Amino acid sequence: METPKHITIFHGPQHPGITGNMSIELDLVGETIQRATTHVGYLHRGFEKLVERRTIIQAFTIVCRICVPEPDPNETNFALAVEELAGIEISRRAKYIRVLVLELSRLSAQFLWMAGQSGSIGLYVVGQWAIADRDLILDLFEELTGGRVYHMYVYPGGVRRDLPDGFLDRVASLLTYLKKRLKLYDDIFINNASFKNRAVGVGVISKDEAIVNGYVGQALRGCGVKADVRKDAPYLVYDELDFEVPTQTAGDVYARALVRRDEMIQSVKILEQVVEKMPEGDIMVKMPTHRKFKLPKDDTWVKVESARGEFAYYMAGDGTEKIRRMQVRGPSLVHAFTLLEDMLVGAELSDVALIMNSLGICPPEIER
Amino acid sequence: MKWSIDIKGTLSPVSILGAFFEKPNTIAYPQVKKETAKGYRGFHTNTLAECIGCANCQDVCMNDAIDMIKTDMEYNAKNASQCIPRIDYGRCCWCSLCTDVCPPNSLKLDEEYMNVSKYASDFIYVPKNQ
Repeated sequence: METPKHITIFHGPQHPGITGNMSIELDLVGETIQRATTHVGYLHRGFEKLVERRTIIQAFTIVCRICVPEPDPNETNFALAVEELAGIEISRRAKYIRVLVLELSRLSAQFLWMAGQSGSIGLYVVGQWAIADRDLILDLFEELTGGRVYHMYVYPGGVRRDLPDGFLDRVASLLTYLKKRLKLYDDIFINNASFKNRAVGVGVISKDEAIVNGYVGQALRGCGVKADVRKDAPYLVYDELDFEVPTQTAGDVYARALVRRDEMIQSVKILEQVVEKMPEGDIMVKMPTHRKFKLPKDDTWVKVESARGEFAYYMAGDGTEKIRRMQVRGPSLVHAFTLLEDMLVGAELSDVALIMNSLGICPPEIER
Repeated sequence: MKWSIDIKGTLSPVSILGAFFEKPNTIAYPQVKKETAKGYRGFHTNTLAECIGCANCQDVCMNDAIDMIKTDMEYNAKNASQCIPRIDYGRCCWCSLCTDVCPPNSLKLDEEYMNVSKYASDFIYVPKNQ
């Protein structure tokens, strides 16, 4: 019997190496990928349409579900857009608490990435340790917001609860612990020959390609472009905080891993400053009840830096208590189609999970 | 893919052995239970002596998880509608908007979060009186 030259397989949506509910159709010759086609649609929950049917305050509880690993950039974007349209200025304490939540959330998402990235090449100890360390951050979230994964905490007008007694001390002691752990992760993961041999030179993006196609986050910073919304268009109080934007030049999976590792160090640095500078004051401005809260006929575009890159919302009000239109533009849309489909051509089948995890693709952002 | 010899990279993961001398991160559940944080968003409780039956909670609930029902429990004299909220935990997303809008602050979320039952009707829940 003649051996077929090409074979087509579906990688996902139930494959453990896929980041979420999506699949990639791969045309293979041997182990080498000739063509990759992304298929989404397994997780369409219609967030943008659901938001149009609810009052603004009711819509606030939906947006965090757009990204499971990192819900807080969604909540912040939603709150920033509503506040900009309604002309609400929040207190300094609320801004600092939002930065605290965003950076803790970034760290937690990076630990989740570390678990996925190490799991994709079989280094399961790193994954289990990273998940255990992420759990310590989730414990803090549980105490602050009342929820571990979906926080529903960053509310238009401020934040919903004040910091519990001694919370900042617990954040500070966690940061001391995490600084020690990050050095250990360097030994067992980043400098590990097993990871380096698999990641160096795999999934390479050129700088020009990244800029032309609008890639964001580590995909862009991994090939030498210093772009970060926190520096380029500062929101909340990021302009008062001292931190750097880490970059690498190789543009491969390993460069993106190094960028993420450096970002974790910068997040710890930001959190230390937030703990030190946390001002006193109100956490919430007086807001109308949900039936009386109306947005003027206007539109806005807001963006924040999530753990995977620039995360933007378009929002339009029409003078009623409902949002006329909300559009979510997460980093995964362009990364899962334009970038991943090109990047997988010529790669090995065993590198698919490795490359996908390095981009941090999150399907709910694509089919929102 | 090219594999190269990397002595430092091969030896550096050996530091993982230090974990043998550390305490485990896990707990022996269910013998040892993790304490839930104060303020965790678990099941609802309702102080009937304070509930005024205003249905604000029902109005704000975006999942239509709250019904106002009549029961044989003893209500607050100021409860004009003589109804109290009943939550459908098949629909509730524990956003706690209902507790935010409660004028007498009688509806709250408790730290209790376990509800194991083989009957779907047990997830339609009248909050405990506290």
